[in-house]
Amino acid sequence: MHKSYREPIKLEQASVISQHHFDGEQHILRLHSPRCAQAAKAGQFVHLTVGPELALRRPISIMLADARQGYIDLLYKVVGSGTRILSQRRPGDSISLLGPVGKPFSVSQGTRLPLLIGGGVGMPPMIFLAHELRQHKQLQPFVILGSEVAFPFDLEPSQHLVDGLPDGVIACMPLLQQWGIPSRLASRQGFAGCHDGFVTDLARNWLDTLTADSLKQVELFSCGPEPMLQAVAQLAADYDLPCQLSLEEYMACAVGGCAGCTVAVTSQQQTRMQRVCVDGPVFAARQIYPDLFTTRQVNQ
Amino acid sequence: MTEPLLKTELCGLHMDSLIVLLSGCVGFGEEYTRVEGFSNRDVGAICLKGTTGSLRPGNAPHRIYETPAGMLNAIGLQNPGVDAVVDNILPTLDFSETRFIANVSGSTLEEYIEVTRRFDDSPIDAIEINISCPNVKEGGVAFGNDPAMSARVVEACRGVTDKPLITKLSPNQTDIAANAKGCIEAGTDGFSVINTLMGMAIDIESRKPVIGNNQGGLSGPAIKPVALLKVHQVYQVCREHNIPIIGQGGINSARDAIEFLLAGASAVGVGTALFYDPLICPKINAGIANYMRQHGFASVSDMTGCLQLNG
Ligand SMILES: Cc1cc2nc3c(=O)[nH]c(=O)nc-3n(C[C@H](O)[C@H](O)[C@H](O)COP(=O)(O)OP(=O)(O)OC[C@H]3O[C@@H](n4cnc5c(N)ncnc54)[C@H](O)[C@@H]3O)c2cc1C
Ligand SMILES: Cc1cc2nc3c(=O)[nH]c(=O)nc-3n(C[C@H](O)[C@H](O)[C@H](O)COP(=O)(O)O)c2cc1C
Ligand code: FES
Repeated sequence: MHKSYREPIKLEQASVISQHHFDGEQHILRLHSPRCAQAAKAGQFVHLTVGPELALRRPISIMLADARQGYIDLLYKVVGSGTRILSQRRPGDSISLLGPVGKPFSVSQGTRLPLLIGGGVGMPPMIFLAHELRQHKQLQPFVILGSEVAFPFDLEPSQHLVDGLPDGVIACMPLLQQWGIPSRLASRQGFAGCHDGFVTDLARNWLDTLTADSLKQVELFSCGPEPMLQAVAQLAADYDLPCQLSLEEYMACAVGGCAGCTVAVTSQQQTRMQRVCVDGPVFAARQIYPDLFTTRQVNQ
Repeated sequence: MTEPLLKTELCGLHMDSLIVLLSGCVGFGEEYTRVEGFSNRDVGAICLKGTTGSLRPGNAPHRIYETPAGMLNAIGLQNPGVDAVVDNILPTLDFSETRFIANVSGSTLEEYIEVTRRFDDSPIDAIEINISCPNVKEGGVAFGNDPAMSARVVEACRGVTDKPLITKLSPNQTDIAANAKGCIEAGTDGFSVINTLMGMAIDIESRKPVIGNNQGGLSGPAIKPVALLKVHQVYQVCREHNIPIIGQGGINSARDAIEFLLAGASAVGVGTALFYDPLICPKINAGIANYMRQHGFASVSDMTGCLQLNG
């Protein structure tokens, strides 16, 4: 049976260190929250009280955690009243934080080429995962990020060659470059150096250059809007790759108590409603989109 | 450990605090224990998630949505079925921590009986009959809004258990006091007042209800005034029979809890407020103990029904 992740969840009064604002109502919030930072793993999230105006907490993924300095970074987009209130928090403000919550990503045995695909505010878990993967010298991650508003960082030309990509797709995320991790960007907004299309186009371009042996060492990790996750799951089905997706659903408790955040998860031909907060947010693509994978088996 | 002052007895259950954690908000009693600083020992009892005869997958998303001073939920009684609860979950609970109360639901009278009987043959401390769930197509609130049917369910469950039986009443009915009266005659030992109010939220872009089930149950501070009045009304019938009420609906502070006690509750339920602050119970305990000391109350039961109506 599927086991939920059982590490302790901390409740702490975090203080805002900084909040930076970007185009498209995107914000990067740095919180001093040493206990959460100490425990956080890629794929996990925090459940925040955005302000006194709204009582129910809001879930936001952890983009980076610095255990030594005791902070975490979040990237979020204003979509409603809660995220708007959060965007008005100033350095020094105190925010109640429950976290880290959720089952993190875990790289499968035999994976050597992790492919990370993040879209929009699904980028943060991919950035955290890339940061974790760089500690493992045997892994060679490649990150593809997509956005339909300006990326919340300055673009720079990549120094890493990646096979199979269309000419001119050279822009990358500076932070990943600093970590020695190749990345590429996609958008239909015509940003310079970015692929004019979908993240999954770039993924296919790259996967098509790999030998059969190398393909066996690829594992997909993804977070982003639902249509993108479905396209990534399709990719996993087409290339027969293991694939972990990080999902979103409306939440109340975020500790597994209310069953408010469930999604349909299929394993061994049985479909169950599982909680995104503690059974996920990371799930195997084949358990979320079983139909994509069964069609493939039928075709075989 | 809670204050000795807060020890109380409810339907024969000895409780270290008058706080009861409410059904559906705390899973099957272990989920919140992962939160550092949270302890089941801070509360007098925990009501487990609504349980039915067999597994129920629950409703399609979205199941919850924040509304002004509250939230809507339509979980749809997702639970693994009574056998799994009794065989797999109850053995993992530590009954020295607190009292555990089962919450029983069903689509038919027979299902209520079957689930109650199964819990009767288990270590559970008490049984709460939920005839007020607004989120299922059959049973639930459909039974609870019909006084004759409510009494039949209580009577039938009473017939198969000697454990303390608590009936959870719906606010979505015309005369809650009359219903309570019938349930007392049918053999209930106590009441939970109130379950959620029925409500809806609409997304004006998609022009659809936000909640997958279209409608949901409203909980949280928004329903507190409604709940207080219902407790006051049910207390008028309970008083003469010495039947206790677990007052609930939007309790978010010691002050809220005290209001419910004054209105006629013997214990208080905390549900939605846990989502806001998982460590709220020790704060409510401390606040009530303070109030008791300040106002010279020697026991929780002395506060029950102390409300003085305006002339
Ligand atoms: C595990 C997880 C990680 C997330 N990580 C990020 C992130 O890193 N950056 C980011 O920008 N957003 C993230 N989200 C989405 C974010 O939680 C929502 O955008 C936010 O809750 C919207 O709140 P609001 O009050 O502004 O919007 P409103 O639409 O006014 O919210 C109303 C209610 O719906 C809920 N809600 C609305 N949209 C979502 C959603 N997509 N997911 C969950 N609940 C929602 C709210 O929490 C609130 O309870 C994440 C969601 C989950 C579940
Ligand atoms: C998410 C959620 C799930 C619930 N599930 C149940 C349930 O299974 N059985 C039940 O009797 N009441 C259920 N309730 C109702 C609560 O137990 C409680 O009576 C109600 O929410 C009012 O209290 P509150 O305002 O403190 O939450 C649920 C409430 C919520 C918010
Ligand atoms: S949000 Fe309550 S179970 Fe996930």
